Amino acid sequence: MTIDRQKLIFLDGAMGTMLQRKGLQPGENPELLNLTRPEWMRDIHAAYVEAGSNIVYANTFGANGRKLAGTGHTVEEVVSAAVRNGKAAVGDRALVAVDMGPLGELLEPMGTLTFEEAYDLFAEVVKAGAEAGADLAVIETMTDLYETKAALLAVKEQTSLPAFVTMTFDENGRTFTGCTVASMARTLEGLGADAIGLNCSLGPKQLLPILQELCSQTRLPVIAKPNAGLPDPVDGHYDLTPAEFAQAMKDAVAAGVSIIGGCCGTDPEYIRALHEAVKDMQPGQRSYVEQSFVCTPTNALALDGLHVIGERINPTGKKRFQQALLENDLDYIVDVAIQQVDAGAAILDVNVGYPGVDEVAMLPRVVKKLQAAVDLPLQLDSTNPAALEAGLRVYNGKAAVNSVNGEEKSMAAILPIVKKYGASVVALTLDEAGLPKTAEQRIAIAQRILDRAVSMGIPASDVWVDCLTLTVSAQQDQAVETLKAVQYVTDVMKLKTVLGVSNISFGLPNRMLMTQTFLIRAIQCGLSLPIVNPNQKEIMDAIAACRVLSGQDGECRAYVDRFAGEVAAKPVAAASSLTLDEAIIRGLRSDAAKLAKDALASETELQLVEGHLIPALDKVGIDYEQGKAFLPQLLGAAQAAQSVFEVIKTSLAEKGGEALKKHRVAIATVQGDIHDIGKNIVKTVMENYGYEMIDLGRDVPPETIVQAVQEQGIRLVGLSALMTTTLPAMEETVRQLKELSAPPCIMVGGAVVTEEYAARMGADAYARDARAAVEIARRLLGGN
Amino acid sequence: MLDIDEALRYLGASGADEALRQRMEGVAQDAEQRFVPRFIYRVSAVEHRPEGEWLSDLQLLLPGNSARKMLAECQRAAVLVCTLGLGFEQHMRLTQARDMSQAVLLDACGSALVEAGCDAAEKELAARFPGVYLTDRFSPGYGDLPLDLQPAICRITDSQRRLGVYVTESCLMTPQKSVTAIIGMADKPQRARIRGCAYCAMKDTCALRKGGHSCDD
Repeated sequence: MTIDRQKLIFLDGAMGTMLQRKGLQPGENPELLNLTRPEWMRDIHAAYVEAGSNIVYANTFGANGRKLAGTGHTVEEVVSAAVRNGKAAVGDRALVAVDMGPLGELLEPMGTLTFEEAYDLFAEVVKAGAEAGADLAVIETMTDLYETKAALLAVKEQTSLPAFVTMTFDENGRTFTGCTVASMARTLEGLGADAIGLNCSLGPKQLLPILQELCSQTRLPVIAKPNAGLPDPVDGHYDLTPAEFAQAMKDAVAAGVSIIGGCCGTDPEYIRALHEAVKDMQPGQRSYVEQSFVCTPTNALALDGLHVIGERINPTGKKRFQQALLENDLDYIVDVAIQQVDAGAAILDVNVGYPGVDEVAMLPRVVKKLQAAVDLPLQLDSTNPAALEAGLRVYNGKAAVNSVNGEEKSMAAILPIVKKYGASVVALTLDEAGLPKTAEQRIAIAQRILDRAVSMGIPASDVWVDCLTLTVSAQQDQAVETLKAVQYVTDVMKLKTVLGVSNISFGLPNRMLMTQTFLIRAIQCGLSLPIVNPNQKEIMDAIAACRVLSGQDGECRAYVDRFAGEVAAKPVAAASSLTLDEAIIRGLRSDAAKLAKDALASETELQLVEGHLIPALDKVGIDYEQGKAFLPQLLGAAQAAQSVFEVIKTSLAEKGGEALKKHRVAIATVQGDIHDIGKNIVKTVMENYGYEMIDLGRDVPPETIVQAVQEQGIRLVGLSALMTTTLPAMEETVRQLKELSAPPCIMVGGAVVTEEYAARMGADAYARDARAAVEIARRLLGGN
Repeated sequence: MLDIDEALRYLGASGADEALRQRMEGVAQDAEQRFVPRFIYRVSAVEHRPEGEWLSDLQLLLPGNSARKMLAECQRAAVLVCTLGLGFEQHMRLTQARDMSQAVLLDACGSALVEAGCDAAEKELAARFPGVYLTDRFSPGYGDLPLDLQPAICRITDSQRRLGVYVTESCLMTPQKSVTAIIGMADKPQRARIRGCAYCAMKDTCALRKGGHSCDD
């Protein structure tokens, strides 16, 4: 359905408010009324149509498998009754929408419901709605962009219904999960929503500025379904009359909103007043700005200057990274990401392709892991279309893809995925004929990819052209051709350009000078998205300088901050008397790493662990036990030890030697419990005593823990529970583990667990704190 | 605003040295700039029924001795939900990935900050009802007030829509830094049963206290 943005469409008002008036009892499931009180539904829908609604929402807001569990009714039963009630009430006077609200449980990484589970729950509702004859699907009152994406994908993949999507915003212009208007608009438009907007949250006056912003961030028709003002905190009554509500909504229509209705506190009187007030209005002109854009929910990155794409998440030529991939050590990849964030990257390229790694499974895992730990948009880098699709599917926000090229096969495989998930894409200027020799050939390929992308509905601003850097020592004439192409693509085609620059200097002495010079020349030609190693100071220095010269760095502020700090910091570097042990004890991560590197010249890796690392950690541990040091210091030392371990691991990986033998310990927060800081503290400390920690996460079912123990031959399991309500789950986990033919040792801990309780449930040990957990592990497993 | 001593207590580091205290102050300052506690409340008449304290306007029953004792002299009560929101949760997650040592300080500040939010809510309530005396606030899990009241409290305050506060099946609240509480409202001064004698309006005249007892014994 293409919706005319110039034509007003009237939605309905609140369902909950009306049901309460009809006699809905507190705590009663409102969706079951579709079965028990169909006449109420028909009255309500009919009243809205008589007041002027063109679309009514069937009473299916919470009719999902999670909320209906235990009611004795299926989703299919409730949803189809609701749609039938709607159809019976409105006939052909209005359309009926199948309506989906939040699932009432937070998705990963904030909660524990997985993206895939959320998708399945929405799919069940929307399929039932479509089969019962709904005319469109509505996704509303969303605060989490990830949950919204799961719902929208379910609508698009499971039905052919048009999708209206509205989210709930706060006065600060963000949803409760921090999602920005721009991130919402550009992500949902990319995913194929038919209209987007705001509902609930506030009254029309408070929502106006947010609606105005939304109108400039999307080409789609915009929806406004606000509350009847703000509720009185004492008694919950909303403060706008129908006339006041209608009057305030005129401003929204003038701003370009074309699909309007009401949410909490509104009734048919509000819709009638609204209809009367605006029916002769034309939605106002909107000024959409087409721009290149990628985002996470909370980080909306409009690409209107020079932005660095960090290239370090890539196993090519990096033994330590390869080892981490093969060992599933995703924490290492997160560390690589964090370093680049701190160094000034704006986007992170993510490549996990390596022999022996199942990229289709690994890329989505890494995407989820990275998005839980860093807030930068990602550029998924793979030659495997299935891996790209798997990664884009679980990405929260608008991502980029690296890359498509001019080969027919590549365009046919990659562009449909880019279109489906609304991503940006790097267009690599090579094709069946191989590497182009001239700027003209590069430009021709870029044009071909662009034309194809645009013909498929991908906006030109989402195509970023890579004009290919070749090694200047091997093909000297090509550097100029690359630069010419960058200039043309920027000036004439008006597209963003991407370039991996470090290739240029391969095989030459003083590589940095060559790379830096080429980078600066490329930026001068218009390069907007250099792919570089942001940890290289000279590269980022050059970029900082270029940003000043282009005016992007207003008042030279970032440049001054960058270098003023440096001058002051230099003399302090003479902390030569610091020993490795002291550095660990004081929690000085980078000093500890540096001293460990030096120490490796004269000591073996094992000597380093046994002679420095463990004794230093023990010193802090004993202070902690005696109340002379506290948790932050204990963890600080553990993290410094971690940086030493990283030096050791890298050294061993480079030598191709065998990794240090470690005991494996599984750790989990039990089912039903979502508080994981205690578990994470124990993990951090134990890891740095050299235990290999298998972190099973939080809210972990007993079966998962049993399975991990059996499959990975684990001899010690740590369980954490914070609430009395989750102690039974801990007991059950212990019981199941003890039933194994060779049960592992179990230690338990957490706020509500006591020594006595631990013994009673059959655990082998009670860990009062992280330090105690280390002692227990030593006692039970020996070593370390 | 945020009480540093309280945050240190949450961390189990009341005996912190100056350096650790300063770190905590730095984290607290940053947390206060980034996160403002948000709250909603509803007020209801209270009926003292045999089966418990009945908040009639909200149709909520508070069973048990704790609620009975706290609300004995109250004609009304407020039900409060306060949260730091998911932004704090996200910040906490990013901080944990970077630096657990910093994260435990932030966690403690978060707990103190949400309490400061409850204090602010009490102030607003007191300003709205001049001449009314408030009891100490108490939450499900206090004494014998059952934890499984959480879902009902979230439902009647519409906390999911209005604050983004959910309750899981095991009665845990998300975002984690969220608090639900009951505050009794009476027409005469109320004892500081929970906060203790030092905070009590009757501390100078209290017969229990003179006899070496407290009203929470």
